[in-house]
Amino acid sequence: MRCRSRALLARAIFGLLLCVAAFAGYALTFPELTGRVVDDAGVLDASTKAALERKLAEFETNTTGQLVVVTLKSLEGTSIEDYGYQLGRHWQIGQKEKNTGALLIVAPNERKVRIEVGYGFEGTLTDAVSKLIIENSIIPRFRANDFAGGIGRGVDDIIQAVSVDSDEWKARAKQRPDDQPGLVDLLALLFFLFIFIMIVRSVARQGRGYAQAGAGRRRGARGPVFLPIPGSRGSSGSSWSSGFPGGGGFSGGGGSFGGGGASGGW
Amino acid sequence: MSHTVYIPSRIQISFFTVLTGLLLTGCGVNNIPTYDENAKAKWSDVQNQYQRRADLIPNLVETVKGYATQEREVLTQVTEARAKASQIKVDASTVTDPAKFKEYLDAQNALTGALGRLLVTVERYPDLKSNQNFLALQSQLEGTENRISVARRDYIDSVRAYNTELKTFPGLIWASTLYRSYKPMETFTVAEDVTKPPTVKF
Repeated sequence: MRCRSRALLARAIFGLLLCVAAFAGYALTFPELTGRVVDDAGVLDASTKAALERKLAEFETNTTGQLVVVTLKSLEGTSIEDYGYQLGRHWQIGQKEKNTGALLIVAPNERKVRIEVGYGFEGTLTDAVSKLIIENSIIPRFRANDFAGGIGRGVDDIIQAVSVDSDEWKARAKQRPDDQPGLVDLLALLFFLFIFIMIVRSVARQGRGYAQAGAGRRRGARGPVFLPIPGSRGSSGSSWSSGFPGGGGFSGGGGSFGGGGASGGW
Repeated sequence: MSHTVYIPSRIQISFFTVLTGLLLTGCGVNNIPTYDENAKAKWSDVQNQYQRRADLIPNLVETVKGYATQEREVLTQVTEARAKASQIKVDASTVTDPAKFKEYLDAQNALTGALGRLLVTVERYPDLKSNQNFLALQSQLEGTENRISVARRDYIDSVRAYNTELKTFPGLIWASTLYRSYKPMETFTVAEDVTKPPTVKF
């Protein structure tokens, strides 16, 4: 008996390890989102990086869209298209509701570059426009080993492409000056908690009333009350940190990606 | 007080109903419909992207025709494959109908193959390759192929969650009682998903 259970345990542990191994084998690793410019491959000097950071922060203040430049050491054996959309989703670049995020991804070792476009920018920063930016502005400079120049020019072009209707963006931003999803979520949570407590309290109080007044029936019985729980599975988490552009640390706003954009190689 | 029979008041009943509701939610009584809706939404994404590709093809064929008149055969193949794929009517119920699902996918895969051959043929025409209109179409087509593969993978993931919920505890209980009409969904086989979309070198 004992021997058998031990064998079973060993098998279970083995199965678990296998699961972990399979998971580790499948998942890509992503660099940490340290700022608007993540120079993992180390191709940018400090001053260029700072200038880019400023430009991207300004872009976010003006348009509420998020644009991030990332250089990668390795694509980990997958294609830049595959890596790109997963990285965008992992970092959750772009505003949650609008998905207005874009990444400029450079993989110097694989000699690949990609503009990954979030759902919200697909209308302005189309595949064709992305391709043109890559072919005309970025790749010629990369061929001459001018990474700073290529990235700088690429960022300028992307900003220009998505800022076509920037005035409209500004008007919309002004209409809702304190649109801070984090705060709204918190308030909603407090609100539902409050209601829940009220219901519990009133039920308890009325229960006591019944005990005193005997089994006297009151007006309309209360049907079942279902309490909606705000922020269902995985949708709240990230939004807490967004809505404070330029406030020191930088994080994604909860945007998502669906494979829009274009790639190129040099 | 001591000799009265305990009769739960309406308030107490409603309180326990609420409690039961909350507990059931905790047991995942809503999971099957939730996963079902999610998987269906992902399926319509897949459909949209295939549709988008179909919409791009007439323009592409016209552009190529202007430069590569002698490639009539490949062009006809693409046009026919597109027509065939567009003829198949699909909706949310297609995903629980293995035969229909396979028919749709076979047609789309045939179109992928024909498109791949066309793009290889095009390599022989430098004038066409430098045509701005063609370049724009080509990048849109590449983008669409990429979106298709992302949409397919998202669909695979959501169907996996849904099908697993149907077959594992506690979803199994709900599937055999409350949600008997919910059937497992079809998904893409791994072999199909590994097949890369046609890549084009410049």
